[in-house]
This record gives sequence, C-alpha cells and structure tokens, in this order.
Amino acid sequence: MKRVELIQGTLDMLILQTLRWGAQHGYGITQAIRSGSCDVLQVETGSLYPALHRLERQRWVKAEWRQSENNQRAKYYSLTPAGRKYLAAEQERWNTVSTAIASLMRARETEA
Amino acid sequence: MKWRRRNQELDEEIQAHLAMAVQDRISRGEGPAEAERNARRELGNETLIKEITREMWGWTAVERLQQDLRYAFRQMRRNSGFTAMAILSLALGLGAVTAMFSIVNGVLLEPLAFHDPARLYVARTIPPPEAHLTGDFPVNARQFHEWRAHCQACQSVSLIQMDDLTLVGAGEPVKLPALRVSSNFFATLGVRPAIGRDFLPAEESGLGQVILTDTLWRSRFAADPGILGRDIQLNGEPHTVIGVLPHHLALPRGDQWGGYFGPADEPLIFEPLGFHSEGQKPAGSLNYTSVIRLKPGISPAPATAELNSLLADFVRQYHITTRIALFPLLQQVTRRARSALWLLLGAVAAVLLIVCVNVGNLMLVRTAGRYREAGVRLALGAGRTRLFGQVLKEALVLVAIGGSLGLVLSYAGLRAFTAAAPIDLPRLEEVQMDWRVLLFAFAATTFSTVACGLAPAWRLSRIQPLDSLKAVSSGHTEAGRKLRLREMLVSLEVALSAVLLTAASLLLVSFLRLTHVEKGFGTAHVITQDVSFLSPKYAHGGRNQVIRLMMDRLRQIPGASAAGATSRLPMRGEDWVSELRDSEAPTEDNAIANFRFVMPDYWRAMEIPLQQGRFFNDGDWGRPVAIVSSRAARHLWPNENPIGRHVQGIGPGQPALEIVGVVGEVPAGPLDQSWPMMVYEPYGLISPVAMSFTVRTLGDPAALIRSMRAVLSSIDPEMALPTARTMNEILDASMATRRFEMRLILAFALIALLLAALGIYGVVSFAVARRTPEIGIRVAMGARPGQVLSMILRQGLRPVLFGLAVGLATALFAGRLLASELYEIGPNDPLPLFAVAAALLLTAFAACWAPARRATRVDPLRALRFE
Repeated sequence: MKRVELIQGTLDMLILQTLRWGAQHGYGITQAIRSGSCDVLQVETGSLYPALHRLERQRWVKAEWRQSENNQRAKYYSLTPAGRKYLAAEQERWNTVSTAIASLMRARETEA
Repeated sequence: MKWRRRNQELDEEIQAHLAMAVQDRISRGEGPAEAERNARRELGNETLIKEITREMWGWTAVERLQQDLRYAFRQMRRNSGFTAMAILSLALGLGAVTAMFSIVNGVLLEPLAFHDPARLYVARTIPPPEAHLTGDFPVNARQFHEWRAHCQACQSVSLIQMDDLTLVGAGEPVKLPALRVSSNFFATLGVRPAIGRDFLPAEESGLGQVILTDTLWRSRFAADPGILGRDIQLNGEPHTVIGVLPHHLALPRGDQWGGYFGPADEPLIFEPLGFHSEGQKPAGSLNYTSVIRLKPGISPAPATAELNSLLADFVRQYHITTRIALFPLLQQVTRRARSALWLLLGAVAAVLLIVCVNVGNLMLVRTAGRYREAGVRLALGAGRTRLFGQVLKEALVLVAIGGSLGLVLSYAGLRAFTAAAPIDLPRLEEVQMDWRVLLFAFAATTFSTVACGLAPAWRLSRIQPLDSLKAVSSGHTEAGRKLRLREMLVSLEVALSAVLLTAASLLLVSFLRLTHVEKGFGTAHVITQDVSFLSPKYAHGGRNQVIRLMMDRLRQIPGASAAGATSRLPMRGEDWVSELRDSEAPTEDNAIANFRFVMPDYWRAMEIPLQQGRFFNDGDWGRPVAIVSSRAARHLWPNENPIGRHVQGIGPGQPALEIVGVVGEVPAGPLDQSWPMMVYEPYGLISPVAMSFTVRTLGDPAALIRSMRAVLSSIDPEMALPTARTMNEILDASMATRRFEMRLILAFALIALLLAALGIYGVVSFAVARRTPEIGIRVAMGARPGQVLSMILRQGLRPVLFGLAVGLATALFAGRLLASELYEIGPNDPLPLFAVAAALLLTAFAACWAPARRATRVDPLRALRFE
C-alpha cells in the first residue's frame, strides 16, 4: 500500500479535526488519521509531537494526563473553544483552496 | 523546576506512545521482541523528536537565562580550580570595595543627622598669604556678636567653645568633655532637648544651667527622669540640669568642630557661653567656632560677603588682614579624613579592577579551548548575541557568587576597619550598610561582570566558524589578535599596579621621613598627666599654690629625674596664638607665635635642648621673663643676641618680657604641619586652668604613673585625672591616621602586585602551552634553550613594559592628587618611580620565569606528536 506524506500545513487541521470527536492521545491521533484516510495518510511522530506542543502553546488544544483504555497513562489532547473556531476557519479555507485546486487541475486535464 | 518537569512529561509522553504502539502490534499477532523493534523503527529518532518538540515550547527570556546559567554552572564545575580562585578574588575585591565605600558613604556622603544639614556652615578665619600660615582658624566672640545681630543671609548664628567640666559626687570625680554654647546653638542645629528645655537667651551669660547628653544622663544618672531641676557639682560649683538631649544624637567630637583646644572627645555636657558677647573685644582671641545656619535658598558666597562686610569697621580700625570664609559643616567635621578616605576607595577600586582583569583574562584563556565548540554552534545557527550573552552570564555567575560572598566579607571588613581605625577618623560610629551601600554593591557587581566578561565574550562571539574548525589545536595559526587582547589586559593590570605602588611608596617614604624627623623632644621616658584646676577653690591664686605644691611633690617621686608642667603639650595642637612682637621696636606687620605657660623644669623633663641663656628657675615665678624658640629669636633679632631683649607677652595689658633663654623647636600640632614659633612664659604671669605635668623617668613608666597619680590624688582627691600618657603614645596617636592610611594603601598595592604577577604568569603559561608544537619545531631545527628562554621572556615582558610606561606616566600625572598627604617628598620624586619600576619588572620577570623554563624543556618529538 502506498502511503503519502502530508501536504505542508495540513497537519494542524487534521489533528484538530481528529480531536473533534473527543480527547485523544498522540498515538491515537496517528492511528485515527491513518485509519480515517484508509491508510493513505501517514503522520510521522517527529512531526506530530512538535505540532501538538505548538498547538498547545497556541491554546488551540489543551492537554491532560489520563489512563487509556489499556490502563496506560497517556497525555490526552482535546479541543479548546478557540481551537474549534480555528478549525472551522481552517476547514473553510481548505475547502476553498481544494475546490480551486481541483477545478484548476480539471481545467489542465481538459486542456491536455 | 518547570523546565525539568516538562522534559520528564515529554519523555513520558513518547514512552506512552511507544508502549501503545507495541501493544497494538502484539495484539495484531507480532512477537514481543519484533513488536518492540518495529515500533521503535516506526517512531524514528527519539532524541531528535524530543529536541524538535522542545523547540516548540518557545523560550521565554527567563527560561533562556536558566539554560545559560545551567551551562555556566557546568563550565564552572569543569574548572573548579579556576572557579574557586575567581570567586575568591572577586569576593575579596568586591568585599573590600563595598566596605570602603560604606565608610566613605557613612563618613563623607551621609548628611549630618541634623535638620536640613546642607544649610549648616562653619565660619573660619583665613590668614593673609603673607602670614605664611597654613589652614584656617576659628573666630572670635565679637565677630559672632555682629553676625548674630545683623546678618541677613543667616537664619541663625551660634557660637561654641570646647571645655572641660569636672563632675564631683556620684562616684569618682570625672572630667567631662563639654561645649560652651550660645543660647541658640541647639536651635541652629535643629536639635531640641528630649526632656526639659533649651537655654534661654537670658541664660547665655552663664547662670549655672547645664544640658546633658543622653549618654551622660544614662551612664551617670541612671536615666533618672527626675534629673530636671536637680543641682549637680561641676568644677566645684552647683549647676542646674535643665534638659537632656535626644538619644542617638551624633554630635561631632570636640576637635572636629575646628576649635584650637579643649577635649577631642564627643561632648557630654553643655553650658552657656558665660559672657555677654557684645562686650567682647573686636580683635579678641580666635577661640571660638561659629556654626551658622543660612536662610533657605541662600548660597554661601553672598553670605560670606555679608559676614566680611559686617566686620569692615573692625578691619579698618585694627588693621586686620584676615578674612572670613564659610565651610559646610560636614566638610569641617570630616576634613581630616576626606583625602585619605577617597584615596583608599580609589586604591580598593583599582584592586577590584585588577581582579576583574585577571578573571577576565583567565576566562579568555578558558574560552580559547571553546573556540571549536563556538564555531560549531555558530555554524549550526546559534546567534552571536546568544554566544556573547552566554559568556557574560558565565561572568555574572562568578561575580554574583563572589559578590554575595563579598558582601559578607565587607561586613566583616567594615568591623575590622572600624576597630583598627585611628580615633580621629570622624563619624565612624555612624557608618552603616544602608541602601546606598547596597546600590553601590550592585553597581560594582554589574561593573565587575562586564569588566570580567567583556573581553572573553567579545572574543568568542567574533569567532569565524570556518577558521575555528580549520585551526584544530595548534598554536601558531592563532597567534595574532587573541594574544594581543590578552597582552593588553596584562598591560592594564601592570599599569594599575604601578599607580598603586607609586602612591604607596610615596606615602611610605613620607611616613618613614616623618618618623625619622628630629622631633625636638624626648619621647620614650616622658610621662604626661593632664589636670584642670577648675573648682572654685582654685580661683584667685588658689591654683598657683596647689600647682607649686604638686610640682614639688612630683619632683620628689623616686625615679623621677625631672618634672615640669606646660599649658599645652607639643603635638596637642596650637593654642594661645598671638602676635610675636619686639616690644622695643613694634611694627605693624607681625608674625604669629604660640605662647606657653610652663613650670621651671619643663624643658629638662621634655628633653628640649637649651641653645642660649638659661632655663627658668623657681625664682622666675610670675616674673616678666620669657624663653623663645630659636626660630622666634632668629625672626625677631636676626644675627643678634636675643638675650636681654624684650618680647610682648600675650594678652591685653601684659608686660614686656625679658628674654632669658633660647630653646629648640618643637611641633605644636602634627609633625608634618605645625612648627610655630614659641614663646614660653613662667606660670603665674598668667595661670591657665588646664595644665599638663611632664615627668621624666629612667625607670618603668607604669610604676611612675601609679606614684604620680597617687601623689596628685593625695593633694586633691576631687581632681579628675584622665589617663596618663607617655610622649611616645601622643606621638604615635598623632601619626595614627597617616600610618593607618599608609599601611592600607601598601597592602592594597602589594595585593595588586601579586594579582598582576598571577595574571602575567597565567598568560605566559598559556602562551607556552599553545606554542608547544611551534617551540618543538624550533628546538628540532636547532634552537638552543637560551634562545627559547629569551623568546618567551621577551614576549611575556613586552606588555609589562608597555603597562609600566603607561602606569608611571599616570602616576606622574595623578601624583598631584596625593600632594597633601606627602611629607618631604614631591609627588614626582624619581626615587619611588624607579623603585616601583624595579619591583614590577622583577616581579614580572619572576612570573615569566617558570613558564619560560618549561618552554626550554619542550621535547620536540612529543611536542610534534600533538599535531
């Protein structure tokens, strides 16, 4: 199966999107993105944790230590109201950009 | 610590991630070992992940500081020897400079503890230049009267005179240092009695009221609140206590007011002036100190002009050539200590600067080992400012530890200084560590940080990454700029040491010349005892009888080879100052002489030599005869025989005195200052109340002191007898300030020399270590040990010579500041300069010698293997 590196700038949005369904730890987020994208999108740990810590510093997510279902102590991240607002804005921007890119690519295809 | 906790959490977070990944793989059917391996591979480089994640945290300034400080501490631990030395020397330097500053602060800067003290001045008489008198003098009572009545610029004009009062009853008779004051004296200072009341104007002529200090009230009267209105016996007369001054009132000591005579101690009791000032003579004796409070906003210049203009009539009438000047009271009180204290502070500051330069130089040497590290960090993108700041912070850590240690040391140093200081250093009891001292300590610490850290920080942040990486560790590629910076610092150290050493040697030479000066009197075997004939039974000739009786009995003490008395001992200051006038050929313009009233054997007891004629004998009692000092004789009758000539006696209506003898010169005040011309009159012509007996003994002074005091007490048990002193002790006390100052400066200069030697040694050792491969090559190419030795010595001594030249030039220039402290040596005398140059060169040579010798023993094979 072919896995794809994330497009620059989308990781934050994907993380926040994942957290919309509730608090999750770093490993859970990786798994959620992978399974949610049918194993296409792969998040590198080396990108995930810096991103999480940056989001936390920007107060779009907040973190707390909890026990996981497997009784593993883990750091759970959840959306803050500000994060929710930011996610909405990002989503809209993403929709606009992706529609535009999609139509552009289609136009190219017809031209070709 | 927040930073550590965050790191732990990050670690735990990653570990949890890993654990969950492993768990997942196991549940998917992988074996534990395989699952672990795969999960780790998937995770990637854990350290790198953490590193990048940490960067997301974003450093606040505080966290960055913490990081740098931690780095600094690590560096310090790695070089514990250097660290210990740096901290210790900084602690000593900062401690000494803080202690010295707190003394300067307490003595010279802290305003006097009176109301609005900046408006308080003392009026002094300035002699005309043709009188060839140094310094300034008190004023007379009539001048005070005119000023108090008319001065518009003055809010209040007061007058004081030092005095003694003997308190009898309630224990042993005790002689109390006293002040006679005008009724407005306390009001002028802004001091009010804590209990009771101040003097009233009507009481100024002396109706028997006294005011006590808190100290006297507590020590002598057990703080009895019923003291007011009580009669106490002073000089045998009843006096009424009308007030007690506030606790902790720091009044200047008697001598600090600038009076001629009276006790040098802090006054304990106050009485009114005891006369009507308007009745005093316009050309009367300059016996009083006038303390003046100017009106708000008035500067001293117009006030001085007014004080002088108020005396214009007297000046015309009596051909007075002196004028009046105002000195701030603080300056008057501290005048003897000013130059010495500033000098000491300057010396300590120079030592601190040398310490900083030394530490900076050592840090420079140490950072040299970090050029590669710095290069790598710069290449990896570290900012130069960050590197710069880091070195400064290393300096800060050293200085801060040294400084806090120094603050503790300065407290100890302050106590040691106060204990060792000679008593004529004023206001020492007021010295405290206040906010100004702390501010100064803070400023000194900041300054030291910069002084220590600037050179190494600058050097390290200027590294070119490429160069530092290329130049692996061999010395010759980096001989240029760095060494020159180090050498400049050595030059600076040497220059500072040279200045200090020059100052110290000038003071040392002055002191030695002063101790070897011909004093004109004997010291070791002469015992002196002050007495005062104050009680009413000694009025009207009463003291003439008792002093003769005492004199006779003192002569009979076994072991006493001669006994006499004088109204004022040599070195106790000028007193009874008046015009020296040939009564047969009076002129307008007369020199000034000191007059003394003596008992016949005074000169023999003091070992003052007779040069012509004869001494007084018992038959001269109260007769109009005089003995003059040789200079007075030469002044009045150059190349003529003075015996049989006549000189005017002191005081109005006094007869002309026939000269019967000429004696040697003695100093009236400090050895280096006042050797006035002297006229001796026999006691009885005038009979001063305060006298000093002088007894010469060939035996044990202590035994003689006991018998002398026993004899005096047996004649008058009510007479207060202050501690007896040998002339040696009086001489010692007169030189105490100078000795103290000289010793301290000398100690500072020697410390500076030692530090400079350490600095030179460090730099040369470092140069030799760096150049070992190069030296190896030279030796391999056939250089002889002598050549290597001279090469290293030349290199080591070059900055020393430069620094020495700068230092001596500075010393030549700055020597003038020292001129007032010197005795019989000019500030530019070549002798100390040569001595300092020789001492510094020798020291520098010695400091270079060991590393230079090491260089000659370099084994070329081993040295080259380093390459």
